[in-house]
Amino acid sequence: MIHVDQVTKSYGEIRAITDVSFSVGKGEVVGLLGPNGAGKTTTMRILCGCIGATQGRAIIDGQDVVEYPTEVKRRIGYLPENPPLYGSMTAEDYIEFAARIKGVKDVTAAVDRVINRVGLQSMRHRIIDHLSKGYRQRVGIAQALVHDPDVLVLDEPTSGLDPAQRMEIRKLLQELAEGDRTVVLSTHVLSEVESVCERVIIINKGQVVAQDRIENLVSESRRVRLRVARPSDDFVQKMEQIPGVAAVASHPDGAWLLSITDEPDNDVDIREVVAKTAVPFGLLELSPTQNLEAIYLRLTGVST
Amino acid sequence: MTSTLAIARRELDAYFDSPLGWLALTGFVFITGLFFALMVSDFSMQSTEIAYNPYMADQFNMNDYLLPAFFSNWAVILLFICPAISMRMFAEDVQNKSFELLLSSPISSTEIVLGKFLGGLGFVAMMFASTLHYVVIFYWLGSPDPGVLGASYATMFLLAASFIALGMLASAFTVNQVVAFVLTFGSLLGLWVLSWTETIMNNEWSAFLGALSMLSHLDQLIKGLLHVNDLVYFLSFIFFFLFATQQRIESFRWK
Repeated sequence: MIHVDQVTKSYGEIRAITDVSFSVGKGEVVGLLGPNGAGKTTTMRILCGCIGATQGRAIIDGQDVVEYPTEVKRRIGYLPENPPLYGSMTAEDYIEFAARIKGVKDVTAAVDRVINRVGLQSMRHRIIDHLSKGYRQRVGIAQALVHDPDVLVLDEPTSGLDPAQRMEIRKLLQELAEGDRTVVLSTHVLSEVESVCERVIIINKGQVVAQDRIENLVSESRRVRLRVARPSDDFVQKMEQIPGVAAVASHPDGAWLLSITDEPDNDVDIREVVAKTAVPFGLLELSPTQNLEAIYLRLTGVST
Repeated sequence: MTSTLAIARRELDAYFDSPLGWLALTGFVFITGLFFALMVSDFSMQSTEIAYNPYMADQFNMNDYLLPAFFSNWAVILLFICPAISMRMFAEDVQNKSFELLLSSPISSTEIVLGKFLGGLGFVAMMFASTLHYVVIFYWLGSPDPGVLGASYATMFLLAASFIALGMLASAFTVNQVVAFVLTFGSLLGLWVLSWTETIMNNEWSAFLGALSMLSHLDQLIKGLLHVNDLVYFLSFIFFFLFATQQRIESFRWK
């Protein structure tokens, strides 16, 4: 559905992204991950035809974004990081305007449908400037959805929201991702990627440093996090003796991290053995670590 | 076409969502009203005096002496108001990030530029419509030539359209509305006074510069005398600046 082929974007001397290539299949939900300034937004803006690439091409369903801008944009819904809202309009007028410039045939029906979809029924006649950030974000999503696009590109859809709003938007995203709509979303909230996306593309300093399904990435560095009440001297020794445990390291917060040798199917077993061994030391906590976070930090060059 | 009209409609509505539109509208009506009152009373005083001279009284009429002078003043008022109309067109959108909605929508940059231009013209049309009571009073006081009246309004509309076309280009080059205003006003003033070079020096260069000046193309039109070269001047002026704006917007996408 989406092919980004060796896209480079330079602003004068500065290279925002270099040779970024990835593909997204129809119906896939892909997360674009990376620190601020890594080139996520630039990649998305090129994908949506807002800016042109210096080199390379972006192709949506066989059509080059540069060569067929109108056709491609009819099939893409884009939510920029700052929702592109006209604050003095009411939510409904704004969505209606978006529907008209996106060439929607039955405007009234489309506006009603999308307002119900994103849950703006009670706010439809309010002025956008008077809405809370969470509702403004919904108006932004409505704008991206109003022409029922096959591809949805969302740039940090939950940034700047409070936890409750974040949960609601995330739930909405999960609903939108169902069916065969292709979704690309960028974020730096890792739990969001894990809960919504099937696959991640990690970008750092303008380059793709990893792209894979989450479970594949995660299996690379499985670790067990352990916290015990009385870690005596032979605790580390005992842990290291468990077959399958590669190394034991202490974490600054007082917990222990056990690296597991890369053998499939020993994950469950080892936790059982680890638990048994740890009980005499006063086992408090035993959990798989946030592996994606570790991978992310490693790949983006931040030391753990 | 529907998207162009949708943009024009939103653009026009936006003027009335902020104090800017109301200020421009009342300002225009107030200042033209001031000129109207002064010039009409002046004209009636002159005509009482001239009534004693039968030859002069025969020559003295509102179509030649009142209407062109009155509408010439509009040109100066528009010189101030049009940059205020055009300054926000792109600068505001780009600064608010709402321009991304237009850029990511299936519309061409030509449609965006035309839509915004039409919105600006709609606002000018509303400004002009709010002066129609002057026309009623003209008819009540005397017998104006509808041709002269029509030509005056059409000329002023053409002039405002030219100002706005130039202002749009300035607005597309900055995110700061004040900068857009100053840039537009300065350029228009420059084009306005170019004809003065003809009086200062007298050679082919000054003739060329004089031909570029707006003022020299306005004199005949405002009297209701349609010359093809004047019309071509204003129409190509508008076309040139709309085209330049369209190219500028296109460069957002592909540079």
